[in-house]
Amino acid sequence: MSTATKPYDSTLQAALLLLPTAAVLVAFLYYPALETFRLSLYETLFLGQRQTWTGLGNFVSLLTSDVYRYSFLITVAFAAVVVFGTLGVSLLIGYLIFSVDVRSSVYLVAAIWPYALPPAVAAILLNFILHPNLGIFTHYLELLTPFTLDWFNDGPQAFAILAVVAVWKQLGYNIIFIVAALNNIPEILTENARIDGVGRFRMLYKVYVPMIAPTMTFLVIMNTIYAFFSTFPLVDLMTSGGPSDATNFLIFKLYRDAFQFNSLGLASAQSVILFVVVSILMYLQLRFASGYGRYGG
Amino acid sequence: MSDITIQNLRKTYDDVRAVKGIDLEIDDGEFLVVVGPSGCGKSTTLRMLAGLESVTDGSIAIGDRVVNEVPPKDRSIAMVFQNYALYPHMTAAENMKFGMKSASEFSGDEIERRVEEATETLDIAHLRDRKPKELSGGERQRVAIGRALVREPDVFLMDEPLSNLDAKLRVQMRAELLKLHRDLETTTVYVTHDQTEAMTLGDRVAVLEDGRLQQVAAPQELYDYPSNQFVAGFVGEPAMNFIPASVRQRGDEHVATAPGLSLTLPAGSGLDGIDDDGLTLGVRPEDVSLVSNRAAASESFTAEVTVTEPLGELLLLHCRLGDEEIRVKVEPRSRIAAGDIVELAVDTDRLHLFDSDGDAVYHSSVPEQVTESALAD
Repeated sequence: MSTATKPYDSTLQAALLLLPTAAVLVAFLYYPALETFRLSLYETLFLGQRQTWTGLGNFVSLLTSDVYRYSFLITVAFAAVVVFGTLGVSLLIGYLIFSVDVRSSVYLVAAIWPYALPPAVAAILLNFILHPNLGIFTHYLELLTPFTLDWFNDGPQAFAILAVVAVWKQLGYNIIFIVAALNNIPEILTENARIDGVGRFRMLYKVYVPMIAPTMTFLVIMNTIYAFFSTFPLVDLMTSGGPSDATNFLIFKLYRDAFQFNSLGLASAQSVILFVVVSILMYLQLRFASGYGRYGG
Repeated sequence: MSDITIQNLRKTYDDVRAVKGIDLEIDDGEFLVVVGPSGCGKSTTLRMLAGLESVTDGSIAIGDRVVNEVPPKDRSIAMVFQNYALYPHMTAAENMKFGMKSASEFSGDEIERRVEEATETLDIAHLRDRKPKELSGGERQRVAIGRALVREPDVFLMDEPLSNLDAKLRVQMRAELLKLHRDLETTTVYVTHDQTEAMTLGDRVAVLEDGRLQQVAAPQELYDYPSNQFVAGFVGEPAMNFIPASVRQRGDEHVATAPGLSLTLPAGSGLDGIDDDGLTLGVRPEDVSLVSNRAAASESFTAEVTVTEPLGELLLLHCRLGDEEIRVKVEPRSRIAAGDIVELAVDTDRLHLFDSDGDAVYHSSVPEQVTESALAD
C-alpha cells in the first residue's frame, strides 16, 4: 500500500482521530445505555440518589402490572395503525404526485411540509384545530356530520386523534422516499403498461409496489421506530396519556415514571423492555422483508 | 391487419422541432424500417404512432381511423423496446400474461393458449418460469417479443429491439424477425440507427434526418438510387465517396472533372442543361477498382494509397485523389501497401451526381420502374 492511500501515519494518530467520535458515542450513547441497564436492576429514590438492588424485581412488577400490560397493548395497536396508516396514505399520495406531469415538485413540497414542523408546534396547532369546544375542524365536523368530537373525555377518540396526527406528521418523510423510489423505476415500464392498458391501481400494486419493496421495508422500520419513540411530544402536549390511560403509551408512561414519579429504576426497566421489543420487531421485519426486498433488472 | 397513413406529422418540444412534417403510407402487412442517425426524430415518430407522445400537428391513421387522440391501449398496437421493458419481479410467462390479464376481454384459457403459442414460435417454452435476471439479453428480447405477439395486434412497433444484443445474436435475431413477419404478416414499423438492419429487414426503408423524411424506397433502390447526398452517404458501408466536381458539356457528352480525375458521364436524363461547378460526384467504394481488374479499358486515373484495411473478404484502400480521400474495395489478397500509386477506374453505370443542395440530379443508370413509367408515357 502506498502512503497516499493511507490517511494516517501511525496507529496512535488513527486512534486520536477517532477519539472525538468515540467520546461522543460513549458519553451520550453507550454509557447511558449501560447505565439504564444497570439502573433497571435497582429500586431508586430521590432521582436515583438512593439505589437498592432488586435484581429482576422491576421487571417482575412491570410484567404483573395491569396498567403496564394495558399500556403495552395500546402501544402495539397504536404502532400498527401508525406504521401501516402512514405507509398506505403516503403510497397513495406519493403515487398521485409521481403520476402528474406538471408541477409535481410543487405538490411534493406541499405534501412534505408537515414533516418540517417541529412535533411540539404541530401538536399545539392541531390541539387548537381539533379542540373539542373551540376547534375549527370540530366546528365544521359537528355542523356537517352527526359526529361529535370529545376526545378530552373519550378514550378511543383520543387514541384515534393521536393516530391521525401521528400519521399526518410522518407522511412527508414517507412521501419523499416513495416518490424518489417510484422515480427510479424505468419509465419504459410505465409506457409499456400504457400500451397494454394496465389500470393505474393494478399497476401500483402489481408492479410499482413490488419494485419499491426495498424502500417500503426501510419505511416500515423507520415508521416503527417513530411510532414507538418519537410520538412522545404529541402525547405529552395533546392528551397527557389520558383520558384514563387510553393514550398512555410505553414511551409516555416511561417518562412519567422516571420524571414525575421519580422511579428511575422502574423507568429504566421499561426502557430495556421497549428496546428489546423494538429490536425483535425490527429483526422480524427484516427477516420477513428479505424475500421481497430484492429484485433483479 | 391494418395500413397506416401519416400526414404532415409534426412534433415540437418547447423550442425544439423534433419532427418537421412527415408524410408516409405504410401498407397492410408491410415491414417498414425507419432508419436515421441519433436525434433524427425516428423514435419520436414511432412513439407518436404508439400514442406515447402527443401529436403537435398532422394526423396518424391506422386503418381508416385517425388515432391522434386514441389512447395507446385502444390502438391495437404492440411495442417492443430496446431495453426489453420486462417487469423484473415477474417470470417470463407472467410478463407475457400481465398486459392481457389487465384487459378484461380475454379469458384465462385464451391467454394460456396464446402464451403457449408464442413461446413455441419463439422457442422459449423452457424459459417460461424464469425471471428476467435469469435470462440472457437475447432471451429477454424474445420474451419481450413474445409479450407483443400474445396481444395479436394490428401493428407491431419496434424501437431498436436488437441494439442491446451482441453482433452475432443480432444477425440471428434479424433472421428470426424476418421469418416471424413472413408467418404473421402483421404490419410492422421498425426503428433503427443501423443501416444494415434497415437494408436486411425492410420491405421498404424510410430514411429520416433532421426530422424530415429523406427517401422511402425498397432497400436496393435506396442503395442504387439515393435521392440525395445524405441518403447516399448514410446507406452503405463503407460510405459512398463524394468528390467535388464540375461538369462541362463537350459536344454531346458531359464530362465530370475533379483534381486528378476526368470522367465522361453516360447519357442520362438528369444531365440536360447541366454545365456547372459545385457539383458532387458520388461513387461507391465497390464501384471503383484497379484498372488491371477491368476488362474494358475505360478512363483511368491514379491515386496514392494512404491506408490499407484488410477486411478479410476484401481489401479496403484509402487513397488520396487530389485533395480528397476516396475508399476503394479491391481483391482481398492484392499486394498493395500504403504509399503505392494505383491506377483506378470506375464503373460508369454506377455514378451519381448531387447538386449544391445535396439533391441527386443524375444517376448513370436508371431505375427500372422509372424506365417503365417513362415507357408508359
